[in-house]
Amino acid sequence: MIDYKRSNIKLWSRLGSCGAFGVAASELAQTSDEVLMITSDLCFYSGLNRFKSKYPDRLYNCGIAEQNMVGVAAGLAKEGFVPFATTYATFAAARCADQVRVNMGYMKLNMKLVGLTAGVSVGILGPTHISIEDIAIIRSIPNIIILSPADCTETVKATIAAAKIDAPVYLRLSGPMDNPVVYNEDYEFEIGKAIELKDGGDVSIIATGTMVYNSLKAAEILDEKYSIQAKVIDMHTIKPLDTQTIDKACKNNKLLVTVEEHSKIGGLGSAVAEYLSEKSVRPPQLIIGFCDEYKHAASYDYLIKQYELEPEQIAEKIVLKYKNMKG
Amino acid sequence: MTNLEKYIKAFEETFNITAEQTKGLKYQAISEWDSVGHMSLIAALEDEFDIMIDTDDIIDFSSFEKGKEILSKYDVEIK
Repeated sequence: MIDYKRSNIKLWSRLGSCGAFGVAASELAQTSDEVLMITSDLCFYSGLNRFKSKYPDRLYNCGIAEQNMVGVAAGLAKEGFVPFATTYATFAAARCADQVRVNMGYMKLNMKLVGLTAGVSVGILGPTHISIEDIAIIRSIPNIIILSPADCTETVKATIAAAKIDAPVYLRLSGPMDNPVVYNEDYEFEIGKAIELKDGGDVSIIATGTMVYNSLKAAEILDEKYSIQAKVIDMHTIKPLDTQTIDKACKNNKLLVTVEEHSKIGGLGSAVAEYLSEKSVRPPQLIIGFCDEYKHAASYDYLIKQYELEPEQIAEKIVLKYKNMKG
Repeated sequence: MTNLEKYIKAFEETFNITAEQTKGLKYQAISEWDSVGHMSLIAALEDEFDIMIDTDDIIDFSSFEKGKEILSKYDVEIK
């Protein structure tokens, strides 16, 4: 039984989302005989060292052969197991697109694909390893649930929820080690149900992954420096989208903002825009995410700044749009 | 409870061992003190003594005895 006590939440934050996933994996192994871990040579980076030593017959390393790994996981799912297949997010989505499309999308096999280091947390490895397009790719394939936890506590929750639901799931893990804490105590997590973290009557910010924390910080800046009150929503499930919460966010506020550690093309912002395009009355939308280009290899913090996703930069973009609207 | 008792308790609870087993204990000497266990111990000690341990010290924390030395840098005397 996972204990959401303060020291554990601090531990998961220190370990980062991959380490937190490993903690949840060990917990799942205790409670379900069907849960298996499959990796393409990323046992350590998946936080699965402890799992490997405790359950050596329940972890399979397929080597650097990600497409084969998805096939192996699909076969195990067909036999009734609940396999979690782990690799870098960009390999999971782009390299394995066909295997994911057939086995998860078309066949709807009960397997879980874990996209490690989504966004730019392995920015130092360069554009081959960063992942700015994975949501766009997976989102276009029918039948796959996409989870994008805000912090490491939510990573634990999302991993456990993914195991419980009988459906294909893409679990997108983002952020570096020492991942900022959004949830510092236990709370209710339900797939498809977004969480309102802060209320505000001027702007609604819908964020996902690491950008939930940055959006909360941006909301503080908006309040303190510009007297703009922002509602902040954690959209941890990108597909299926929680349209009820989006409707509520649109109702009274003048501007809708989406923030994500992903390309502005095809991610959360696009999903929200696609939904709102069916509405005749809706507030203007500002999509904040990666611009449409690859940056040179660099550290996480540097790249977040280069892509203008620091809290101050998010707040500035919102203020600019907000003032132009009024103006 | 003295600081030493609190220190031992953190090891006992994190690694599920007895006070006797903490003596001379070193990193990775038992399966529970792996990389995850290590960060878990650090979190427990930070919580117990209300401190924040620097990354370099987390890496240096290689044994039960070495930990006492490191905590003294944070004004936590384990005697």
